Amino acid sequence: MTRSPVFETFRYAAILLALAITLVPIIWMTSMAFKPVSEWQATGADLTWIPKRPTFENFRYLFGQSETTLIVALERTATKPILASLLSAGFGTLIAMGAGTAAAYGLSRFGSGGNLPLALIQLRLFPPMAVMIPVMMMWAFLSLMDTWWGLALIYGIVTLPFAFWLMKTFFDEMPREIEEAALVEGCTRLRVFLKITLPMMRAPLASATLFVFILNWSDYLIALLLTTRQWVTIPVYMSSLASSMTGQLYGAKAALGLIAAVPPVILGIMIQRHLVRGLTFGALKQ
Amino acid sequence: MSVTDTPPAPPPTAASVPADAVRLGHWLTLPAQILILFIAVFPILMQLYISLTDWSPLSGRPWPRAWELWNGFANYADLMSDRRLWSAVGRTALVMIVCVPVQFFLGLGLAMLFVDDFRGKRLFYSILIMPMMVVPAVAGYMFFMLFQSGGPINDIFGTLIGRPVVIAWLSDPTLALVAVMIADIWQWTPLMFLILLAGLVGVPDDQMKAATLLGANAWQRFRTIALPRMKTIIIIALAIRVIENFKIFDTLYIMTSGGPGVATETISVYIYKVTTQDLIWGYVAAIALVILIVLSVVAVLAMRRMAR
Repeated sequence: MTRSPVFETFRYAAILLALAITLVPIIWMTSMAFKPVSEWQATGADLTWIPKRPTFENFRYLFGQSETTLIVALERTATKPILASLLSAGFGTLIAMGAGTAAAYGLSRFGSGGNLPLALIQLRLFPPMAVMIPVMMMWAFLSLMDTWWGLALIYGIVTLPFAFWLMKTFFDEMPREIEEAALVEGCTRLRVFLKITLPMMRAPLASATLFVFILNWSDYLIALLLTTRQWVTIPVYMSSLASSMTGQLYGAKAALGLIAAVPPVILGIMIQRHLVRGLTFGALKQ
Repeated sequence: MSVTDTPPAPPPTAASVPADAVRLGHWLTLPAQILILFIAVFPILMQLYISLTDWSPLSGRPWPRAWELWNGFANYADLMSDRRLWSAVGRTALVMIVCVPVQFFLGLGLAMLFVDDFRGKRLFYSILIMPMMVVPAVAGYMFFMLFQSGGPINDIFGTLIGRPVVIAWLSDPTLALVAVMIADIWQWTPLMFLILLAGLVGVPDDQMKAATLLGANAWQRFRTIALPRMKTIIIIALAIRVIENFKIFDTLYIMTSGGPGVATETISVYIYKVTTQDLIWGYVAAIALVILIVLSVVAVLAMRRMAR
């Protein structure tokens, strides 16, 4: 369809405006991450969008290798929180994908677990805040407080609905002829699932795994309640980078924010095609 | 792109599935069932028990002995007259009523610009959906920086009107709420855009062309052809945002901690504060349980309506 030049002009103007609004916060944080201490709080005429003296100081500072004397040395470096985030989100994703994929296959092929769809939708619906008191009590009882494995367990449960629904829609769409042929050849059903179905579903499995990982990586509230010191995750550690003694460590926080924000954005763009399906529980797909 | 209306194969029924398949099916669904039991049944029973007592982690007894602090339905009576709670409920509703429609219309408008091809479409699309993938806590910190009184937002406004602007966004009760809503809109408009665009692209091109030939203008084409086909998609998009918006915590808490005072305190923030600062867990359990019940009723009603 040919469009009028007026429409084209309007379209580019509107999109450019949207791009500007989208990018301002991202650009500001990126720029802040590379600003030296002296520029952190520059205001008025001194405020700059591009650092005057760009530096990796903030990143070095996070990992305990800063030479600067302007700010108090960190009591704890960012290494362990990054590890905590990776381990809890990673293993949480494994739990969700393991249980979710198996259950999705069971429901899709054999009609088992008919209660799961509704139960999992309800799980998605409830604010985590509304079950956190008993979860904190249970986690304390099981000695899971302030551990990455305790966090991984709750992440696995919270993102189970996404893993289940995504994999269920993928299994529903998969042609069954190959599975049936293998059955006729004498394979057991478990072998068919493990040796034929799963390898065929490699690509969807990978997308679903990345999607679930992004969700787990993004958590703040649960880690805030279930970790206190040893295994705080990046977002929790980030809020601790401000105290009455040090003030807001703007640049260091921005550098950490960048470290936290980059992986999910890259992964998200990689799985763009499946985002709609993942977010709408498989009700919509591209 | 389409709405999945029916699964490709008829769902298996008990009679048609051989015994070995049934057994495997049970084993496969078992882990998920256990996880759900673990997170739903125990916590809710525990929550119910605690909510009928005055128990708190500081009460000097382990929780199984909470019955020594039995107070019947006093917690439930208290929450009815808890002004701070109800103002948090109202504020959560206000944030939802403002943010969800704004996200919807901005997302729809953008999506309509992206239906047909133009130069740079893929790149623009990838950039526009970035905010929803930024970790919410990090997004909160971005906006915390942007809204400082000497920060870039005031700088941009200052440049636009030609004289310095010093607005203390996050320490003014009204403006803090506005700032929090702007952050939410920034982060979640892309979600609406993404879903609605997927819906718009699914509208058959030939019907639109036919309507154009018949003299329908853009608005008429959208209203009579695209809109009816997109009904389900629109409902799903709105439902997701309403559900998520109700839980709003991360960005907001990082930006304002619910302050100044209680000016940006939503339900989740309120519960968080009462849980970690006041430590009256019996009372929090009562609030949480009421929320769970109300949401369950809403969910069941909504599903019945959707089913029709």
